[in-house]
Amino acid sequence: MLAAQTRAEIERARQRYPSPRSAILPSLWAVQNELSWLPPEAMAEVAELLGIVPSEVQAVATFYSMYFKHPPGRHHVLVCVQAACALRGADETVAYIERRLGCPSGSTTADGMFTWESTIECLGACGGAPMMQVDHHFEENLTPERIDAILARVAAEPATHHGPGG
Amino acid sequence: MAEYRLLTRDIGTEGLQTLPVYERKGGYQALRTALKERTPDEIVEQVKLSGLRGRGGAGFPTGTKWSFLPRDIFPRYLCINADESEPACFKDRYLIDENPHQLIEGILIAAYALQVRHAFLYIRGEYHDQRLLLERCVEEARRAGYVGERILGTDFVCDIIVHGGAGAYICGEETALIDSLEGYRGQPRLKPPFPAVKGLYGKPTVVNNVETLSNLPHIVGNGGEWFKAIGAERSTGTRLWCCSGHIERPGCYEMELGSPIRELFEEHCGGVWKGRALKAFQPGGGSMQVLLPEHLDLPLDMDAVMKAGSSLGAGAMMFMDETTCLVNVSMRLVDFYHHESCGKCAPCREGTYFESKLMHKLEAGVATLDELGTLADICANMDGKCFCPLGDTATWFVMSAYRAFREEFEAHCGAEGCPVAREHRPLLAGHA
Amino acid sequence: MTDATPPSPPDDGRVEITIDGRVHRAPKGQLVLDAATDVGVHIPIYCAHPKMDPVAVCRMCLVQVEKMPKLQPACATYVSEGMVVHTQTGPVATAREGVLEFLLLNHPLDCPVCDRGGECDLQDFTVRYGPETSRMPITDKVHFDKAVPLSDRIELDQERCILCWRCVRYYDEITGEKEIVLQERGVRTSVATFDGRPLRSAFQGNLPEVCPVGALTHRQYRFVARPWDLQRARSICPECSYGCNINIDSREYEVRRFASRDNPLVDDMWLCDRGRYSAPRWNRTERVRRAAVRTAGGEQEVTIEHALREAGRRLREVRDQHGANAIGVLGSVECTNEEAWLLQRVARDALGTSHLDHQLEAFPGLSPEEHALGIAEIEDCSAVVVLGSRPEQQAPVLTLRLHKAQRKRGTAVHRLPSEVDDATVRGITGQRLVGVIADESDRARAAHVAQLLGAGNTEVRRLTVTRGVNGRGCKDVGLLPNLLPGYRPAPGAGRCGTEILEATSAGQIRALLIMGSHPWAAGAGVALTGALNAADLVVAIETVPGPVSHAATVLIPGHTHVEKAGSVTNLEGRVQRIRAALPPATAAPSELRVLAILAAELGCESWPAETIAVHREIAAALPAYAAAGNGGRAGWLVPTQ
Ligand SMILES: Cc1cc2nc3c(=O)[nH]c(=O)nc-3n(C[C@H](O)[C@H](O)[C@H](O)COP(=O)(O)O)c2cc1C
Ligand code: SF4
Ligand code: FES
Repeated sequence: MLAAQTRAEIERARQRYPSPRSAILPSLWAVQNELSWLPPEAMAEVAELLGIVPSEVQAVATFYSMYFKHPPGRHHVLVCVQAACALRGADETVAYIERRLGCPSGSTTADGMFTWESTIECLGACGGAPMMQVDHHFEENLTPERIDAILARVAAEPATHHGPGG
Repeated sequence: MAEYRLLTRDIGTEGLQTLPVYERKGGYQALRTALKERTPDEIVEQVKLSGLRGRGGAGFPTGTKWSFLPRDIFPRYLCINADESEPACFKDRYLIDENPHQLIEGILIAAYALQVRHAFLYIRGEYHDQRLLLERCVEEARRAGYVGERILGTDFVCDIIVHGGAGAYICGEETALIDSLEGYRGQPRLKPPFPAVKGLYGKPTVVNNVETLSNLPHIVGNGGEWFKAIGAERSTGTRLWCCSGHIERPGCYEMELGSPIRELFEEHCGGVWKGRALKAFQPGGGSMQVLLPEHLDLPLDMDAVMKAGSSLGAGAMMFMDETTCLVNVSMRLVDFYHHESCGKCAPCREGTYFESKLMHKLEAGVATLDELGTLADICANMDGKCFCPLGDTATWFVMSAYRAFREEFEAHCGAEGCPVAREHRPLLAGHA
Repeated sequence: MTDATPPSPPDDGRVEITIDGRVHRAPKGQLVLDAATDVGVHIPIYCAHPKMDPVAVCRMCLVQVEKMPKLQPACATYVSEGMVVHTQTGPVATAREGVLEFLLLNHPLDCPVCDRGGECDLQDFTVRYGPETSRMPITDKVHFDKAVPLSDRIELDQERCILCWRCVRYYDEITGEKEIVLQERGVRTSVATFDGRPLRSAFQGNLPEVCPVGALTHRQYRFVARPWDLQRARSICPECSYGCNINIDSREYEVRRFASRDNPLVDDMWLCDRGRYSAPRWNRTERVRRAAVRTAGGEQEVTIEHALREAGRRLREVRDQHGANAIGVLGSVECTNEEAWLLQRVARDALGTSHLDHQLEAFPGLSPEEHALGIAEIEDCSAVVVLGSRPEQQAPVLTLRLHKAQRKRGTAVHRLPSEVDDATVRGITGQRLVGVIADESDRARAAHVAQLLGAGNTEVRRLTVTRGVNGRGCKDVGLLPNLLPGYRPAPGAGRCGTEILEATSAGQIRALLIMGSHPWAAGAGVALTGALNAADLVVAIETVPGPVSHAATVLIPGHTHVEKAGSVTNLEGRVQRIRAALPPATAAPSELRVLAILAAELGCESWPAETIAVHREIAAALPAYAAAGNGGRAGWLVPTQ
């Protein structure tokens, strides 16, 4: 089911490591870049390309938090609510974004434009708290105005699910 | 002792992320010196002499760690730990964003010293742009002959593979990192055998932190003796401090080890924001115990802070003003460990879950004093019983806060809501 | 950094360790857990498993080790010189109680409706070391789907799972199929198959025994019985020649399940699903229960004594009129060694015929070398050649031994077609010890392959997969036309099973003495019906109704595998006991007594009729069996190194 170019990317990843299995994460990123999430058939195909069993790919894919097990919206917004951000108003940021997007954390806007969630995992920008990541890019020192501007800008951009692979 | 810009010296220079500018600033001279004028063993000796201790959290002497590698088993591997996921830590990201070639030069020096042909740089998935930057820089370095075959015309060969994670704090633990890199679920391994003996692909492996390696160009360039003179007796050199929370100027500051915490807090961070008073602070990162205003005069010295019952860990400093609810902060940290527990061992998997349930009740003011006792019990049953330190440390902040702010914790019991928040609502207003 | 062990003078490969005050010289590299067992100290475990590598994830086995700051998992800590361990101190007790509280935190506590109730380690240890009450509100528990079928055989209740990783390691380390893996992480972790697809393994039945709690259960066994009202008989799996040790658990005169009984030299505690789930078959109700004699006037029930007198008389008649070789004797692979022994004596000593066999196929030139390789020795082989797929189809548990050899000892396993070309075989060079494993029907090819490999200083050992639970024993004790007990050549031109049937149809053989036809009856087809029609006399000792019992002139009820006692010999020559698990479905005496009485009717007085007595007679005749005793290998078949 995977595009030739994705399969080629997986093959290149395989060559980079002493053991093909090491290419699982890069391969799954490549899949997510193409399909925006990880359907079982794609996991099976990755397994076949790396010479392992599909169940092993599933075991790995479900362990990490950044792979989507269901199709997400066109853009992904991640807001840190860990202590350092919370001290500088992350809860208010979250409340604002929820109002702004009109759907609760962990869901996708009705128009399929944004999937957003607040995360307890520190994203490593505590110096610029409150912060969020939009399609994996850091956005720091958030204010309602900046949030509006960022979301407006991103909405105009094409869909991107690129992770470290893309 | 004061601010001392070593790793951050050139930061701010326009285009430092590009090879030409980095070279103009003297970049890759140390690598040249290493390859042309030093034997691998001489470099290991210099690093030992320098007294450099790991910046990843454990603070283990780097030279000593290197010397654990069995002499005659090859290949060996070097893993660069850029998984930086400890709450309140962002120094590694800062070093990558601002001075990526310094890290790459450090990696190459380590690889030469350890006679490693493959260095794997494991960077957390969330550091996406940083990963792309590093990949670009490695290619730049490769084209300039610093990476790949016959480096600088010598017969030293080394490739750097940048490997992106996918969202798992535990992959920062060195054996979990190795499992993740091998393509398994990133869960810690039994030790012994230690990575130095049986690590990546079953071969001798050294895992070092980004900041640790960024020190190497300076140690090789100026000598271990010179480095040893910087900082404190058993905490040599400088460290980057990730300052966050209720301060005027949050950010990353480099200071000589041994300087008083107060100096960092007042001169660099500009003290508590909005003219408020300091209630408490957490050094080292989310895993470490809470400290109080009177601890501001402690030196930035790993052992001194250890004696005070906490740790400099991965170099974070999270400051909390008088309006802060320690139960709320504890709850967030506990939630983090619950979210990040890999689930391998029962005490951490189940314990962090129970902890989190109790903390939410407590913060909501619907927990009983009995349940507060249960919380303390659960933590005691986790600490020291878990497979790896994640589960143990999941109890450290909350228990230290409970000891230091007992009344505040007890006041939450049956308070129907957070008493601290109630008291400080006006102060809290108008954040974001 | 590593756990350095100061050399202990004198270095006898052991170190001195003290556990709860008991001093013990433990072999180096032993786990504290096993050392404790050796000195009789019990340490509770969940994730540790005798056949799997340590993972130390459940933390139930934490013990105090002097000079170590933290409690250590006994299941993953190796003994070292001077180590002092405490398992009964306060900290250990607290840790155990703590771990049990954690394990029960999200457990549904549904023991009353759980099949494992009564044989559940979680239940047992909680009573012994656990907290009185749960401090976790039911409403806060994590929920998973309950009673999820993983296949038609196995059911998973994820809420009962304590994530000991045993099922996952079973599929990784023992079978290598990786059918069950962990998914998600933290408290959401669960065991799962890929995309929820059903298990396909031929070894699923081991899962419920591997699982320390009631998370994985047999669907066949759901709500069937509580352990405490089961009777248990130690026996051998009747399904093939591998000789897996089992416990036959019965209740109310019915077999409820076959459970594994670890024999490291044979099954290594694993059973295949074909064997395990064959259990209910032994409860079939249509059986031959009464003796009968069939005359022109039709069939009439008679007493055993009458039937045997009749059988003796008629057999003597045939012998007197047509000679001893007008009588054919057929046993089966389900005869115990004792039965096979007496049957071949009846044929040779009492009747004097040379036409006797235990199955249809002929065995020209059967030789001891064909059985030289022992099951456990597979792990010592640097390479193993398996000819065709039959060996592993016939004796599935062989697959697991091959996987273990591969994984633990680096044995190279070559699965080759039975008609493999010489070049391929010659390609397997530079070996120390090579095993060649083939099915009975590939004996000739196996001999050829072995001879090709035997070049240079490579030692080759063959293992022939015999058919049926005691196909090997029947051969050893000479229930064969061409070989006497102990593979000594037999005089006279005896006919094999098929030939006996054909000769009967052709009228050269007039009378048949058949004992237990059902292993081969179906395969015999028209040859059998032809023979039964042509024969003047058919004396049959049968357990289940079938062509033979219907045609029998004299019919005597027999006993099934689960009703009789005796010994059977597995494919590697291991002599093992079977014991009666159910009372017989017939009042008839044992096959041994029946044969002894028949011998008497034929003029041979006072033959032994008790299992022990007959076994002594075998042992006296075959030194190998004397040496093997109970559970040993018939040694004379193993080449002396
Ligand atoms: C749960 C856990 C998370 C860790 N996370 C990190 C991390 O993100 N980055 C890091 O450098 N070290 C981390 N460590 C420490 C590493 O295990 C290892 O000690 C360190 O990378 C060694 O490098 P150093 O000697 O240069 O400090 C973590 C340890 C634990 C137990
Ligand atoms: S303490 Fe246990 S569950 Fe937690 S991260 Fe470590 S091994 Fe995994
Ligand atoms: S039995 Fe030792 S940790 Fe599970």
